[in-house]
Amino acid sequence: MSLLSVENLTIGLPSGGDRANAIENVTLQINPGEIVCVVGESGSGKSMTANATMGLLPPGLPVRSGRIMFEGIDLLTQSPEQLRRLRGARLAMIFQEPMTALNPLMRVGDQISEALRMHGDTSAATRVPELLAAVNLPDPKNLARAYPFRLSGGQRQRVMIAMALALEPSLLIADEPTTALDVTTQMQILRLIREIQTRRHTGVLFITHDFGVVAEIADRVAVMQHGRIVETGTAAEVLNNPQHPYTQALIAAVPRGIARATGPTQPGEPVLRMKGVVKTYRRGGGLFAKGTSFQAVHDADFVLHRGETLGIVGESGSGKSTLARCVVGLVTPERGEIKFNGSELRALSATAWKPFRRHIQMVFQDPYASLNPRRSVGDAIAEGPILHGTSRAKALDRARDLLRLVQLDAGAMDRFPHEFSGGQRQRIGLARALAMEPELLIADEPVSALDVSVQAQVLGLLADIRKRLGLTMLFITHDLRVAAEICDRVAVMQRGAIVEQGETGSVFNAPNHTYTQALLDSIPGRHWTPPESA
Amino acid sequence: MDISSLLRFLLRRIIKSVLVVIAIVICNFLLIHAAPGDPATVMAGQSGSADPQFMAQLRHQFGLDLPLYEQLWIYLKGVLTLDLGFSHRMQVSVASLLLDRLPATLLLTGTSFVIAIVGGVTLGALAARRVGHWSDSAITVVALAFYATPLFWVGLMLVLLFSVKLEWLPSFGMSDPGSNLHGIALAWDICQHLVLPSLTLGLFYLAVYARLTRATMLEVLSQDFVKTARAKGVPESRVISVHVLRNALLPVITFAGIQAGQLIGGSILVETVFAWPGIGRLAFEALLARDYQVLMGVFFCTSVVVVIFNLLTDLLYAVVDPRVEVST
Amino acid sequence: MNFARRFCRHPGAVIGLVVLILVIAMALLAPILFPGSPWDMAGAPFEPPGEDGMLLGTDSLGRDVAAGIAYGARVSLLVGAVSTVVSLFIGVALGAIAGYLGGLVDDLVMRFTEFFQTIPSFVLAILLVAIFTPSISSIIAAIAVVSWPPVARVVRAEFMSLRSREFVQAAQVLGKRPLGIVLTDILPNALSPIIVLASLMTASAILLESSLSFLGLGDPNLMSWGFLIGSGRSVIRLAWWMSVFPGLAIFATVLALNLVGEGLSDALNPRLRKRGAKP
Repeated sequence: MSLLSVENLTIGLPSGGDRANAIENVTLQINPGEIVCVVGESGSGKSMTANATMGLLPPGLPVRSGRIMFEGIDLLTQSPEQLRRLRGARLAMIFQEPMTALNPLMRVGDQISEALRMHGDTSAATRVPELLAAVNLPDPKNLARAYPFRLSGGQRQRVMIAMALALEPSLLIADEPTTALDVTTQMQILRLIREIQTRRHTGVLFITHDFGVVAEIADRVAVMQHGRIVETGTAAEVLNNPQHPYTQALIAAVPRGIARATGPTQPGEPVLRMKGVVKTYRRGGGLFAKGTSFQAVHDADFVLHRGETLGIVGESGSGKSTLARCVVGLVTPERGEIKFNGSELRALSATAWKPFRRHIQMVFQDPYASLNPRRSVGDAIAEGPILHGTSRAKALDRARDLLRLVQLDAGAMDRFPHEFSGGQRQRIGLARALAMEPELLIADEPVSALDVSVQAQVLGLLADIRKRLGLTMLFITHDLRVAAEICDRVAVMQRGAIVEQGETGSVFNAPNHTYTQALLDSIPGRHWTPPESA
Repeated sequence: MDISSLLRFLLRRIIKSVLVVIAIVICNFLLIHAAPGDPATVMAGQSGSADPQFMAQLRHQFGLDLPLYEQLWIYLKGVLTLDLGFSHRMQVSVASLLLDRLPATLLLTGTSFVIAIVGGVTLGALAARRVGHWSDSAITVVALAFYATPLFWVGLMLVLLFSVKLEWLPSFGMSDPGSNLHGIALAWDICQHLVLPSLTLGLFYLAVYARLTRATMLEVLSQDFVKTARAKGVPESRVISVHVLRNALLPVITFAGIQAGQLIGGSILVETVFAWPGIGRLAFEALLARDYQVLMGVFFCTSVVVVIFNLLTDLLYAVVDPRVEVST
Repeated sequence: MNFARRFCRHPGAVIGLVVLILVIAMALLAPILFPGSPWDMAGAPFEPPGEDGMLLGTDSLGRDVAAGIAYGARVSLLVGAVSTVVSLFIGVALGAIAGYLGGLVDDLVMRFTEFFQTIPSFVLAILLVAIFTPSISSIIAAIAVVSWPPVARVVRAEFMSLRSREFVQAAQVLGKRPLGIVLTDILPNALSPIIVLASLMTASAILLESSLSFLGLGDPNLMSWGFLIGSGRSVIRLAWWMSVFPGLAIFATVLALNLVGEGLSDALNPRLRKRGAKP
């Protein structure tokens, strides 16, 4: 008998939404001891089924039809109290954002023992340290007394897992639990879930948007689009022989992680040279207390040649964003040389920077925050050239040309940012940066906030424009696979220092530093080779 | 937060409070000198200005021909030794006047504060639980209405209703004059007199806390950890009382500290309406007679009370929220 | 227009707006509705409402209460509006400087603001008006001086959040000067909470002004709502209408302003991020 069987589930949306139903006719099965991945982009409805199973749907979303059979009971017909007794004990759920998923005012151990107590289990004192140890957390006895704010994201997610598994439920629902984590932490958590699942024969419903993760842990897969399941099957089937065009498109959009040597074979003269740059941040401290200081960037020397794309790859806290901001002058390092075409940039005043602004521009990460909401698209793009002396008419003309270049309709000129999707806004951001006709383009995680399919399009656009305009690019990212797609050379950063740099191919195939090796090992689904799209 | 860091936190806050009090005294000083006319006339007030001997005494006491910073020093010294001046009108020291009237005000504002907090948080929590329901709208509307009415007018209307028309409750003073009551009988009499004034002052702030609690609870209810608690199988009543309420009360504690000053200011109006023998009424009388020394004494006294109250709320916040230790 | 439609979705806000317009109309038309001065005797003292053509009765000196309310509206609205504008000026300036510059400047401004918020504002206002003798300008100044701290806090918070927003960084990378960034990028996006705050502050300014005049600190030449209530306090048993009607006027105006403020708050909300909130 299957553990969980969702049959023809349809959940409606309030009127005025994108579509009539959040999910439609969803049928899904999970057997004991297997991991089923539900894959989809944002808006696909993948979380909705999970929420419905747990009885945690937001109010106002009616269940129009279907059943959810769990261990033989139809969950949709259970009373709230019956559901409550099942939650935590027989079926458990973990969420995406570890930073906000724990009560900040309660000790971590108390939150776990609460789960036990609510179901009549009084063995908390002995169980809690056991559970924390089982998820590989250090020093369980003391960690149980800590408050959440003292733990890192990865540690909090482990606590969540410990809490979810405290009562040994037969089904674990994981709603994108690793999306907000660093790549290395993600791999650790994925392995942990796999290990626990094998040990306890738990069924797992794992929701994700990343096919790499699917390749890493799934037994079976269901792909969702616009609230419907478009394809199901075993992992091997779906990953290597996708039938539905949407699945094929999604898989084709996954960055390969295989290096493509696309750059110029002859490196041009150096455009940017970073040497001995040090940036220190002071945290805390005020009128009475002394703060702590740490070096966000220290040993990070590199040279960028004309026409090449250098990727700076690192996890959060590695200093890659700070490095990028040093180059554009948003942040001033205390020491070091930043030489652009021979001119020293580090300690320039705002006025001295002005002539260089034409040559160095930046594309930002968050498409929802990088455009002024009260400025029309045309004005946003034309603003830069106007500031530097171009006439308004000419600048607006140029803006129209650029919109065409980034494959947006010229009618976008008079519209406002909120009328566009994330991917479209990134294109506008790119157009804005290109309006100044820069030599050097700094891209700070330009695709991290985008859905996978959109990501592939924007990356493709970047590669195309780079070739056409002969741009030199500094590409910041946390995702090695993305770096492999577009960068000629790669520099790996860890805790403020570049630990390894070189041609993408050699770094990927023969890494020198242990950290690089760890990063490479953490690419989910590394052993899987996606099929070439037809 | 462990004891040693709590004590360190307390020490830092006490130093900060002392600095604030000194700043208030300097503020007072600047006000005297910024006022139109001769500082001595300002200090003497209406009745004192007529008495040349008093004026001469004042001039000597404040050293009005000395340079400004020396005057400031004299003034500071005076305040720090609790010499807040002399009221010519009442012929007693300001400090003794204040001390005499302070307990009545503390009784009034204390009772009002308790009514406001307990009532406000309860109603706000209720409204948040039933958001969209008619009871939520009712509470919100009533809160809005009380928030929009001037304190003194509410007081007068309550007097009109309960004292004049219905004759249920007394309308003036703290206890019946002329009746020689002691012990329990006196306490009961004071309680009866306390009802209307504390309701007046309390209802306005009840509305404020109700709105605030409702807003913060709605915000906390939408946070992830509430979903986690439900997913664990925690019953809804416990989710609200343990998980939501404690987090939602944090901004309420902060806000209570900020509102303390306004609460005390409001007592001036309420005490005037109800002839309650507290500092507020003292301020009103001093106002009529332009007895500035008493007025500034009131300002100083109420500020100190507020500073102490803020210290307590900060301490409470630090005890409830474990993250505070890290940020200071 | 989207804004108007969103505003009208709140029945309370619309009612508030209507009431506000009525009050403003009454204030503007006062000389026409009640020719002469409200200080003039219009009838016998203590006439109950409805009698002898006095819609709302007369006070202890035979003055028309309705006329007093109409002329009082002018004072209240004037004081409310002007003191709010001055308060906004001070608050926006300080908040913007603290929020944009940060660091030591921010620390100092925040200590200053906290200080002003700690001291009992009403007591300070009384002190200021008493010392500088009551007049409409001293009242406006006193109210402005005690009301700016919340504005500074809100503006500072907005500026701090906007300053690190990526579109501001983009403007810096384009080479824009700080002043240009503040005026054309930050300020327009910080306006919404300021506008909402303006409405709420006008409401509390009117409450403050009426409290001051109730205590006898109003401008002696101007009839105001607080003064009416104050003069009716001692004779409340004889003439309840002297206290009730002006109070209703205050209540209606302040409530209307609060409702309008809430409507504005919802209507001006920055468009919710449509990140395809996970269904």
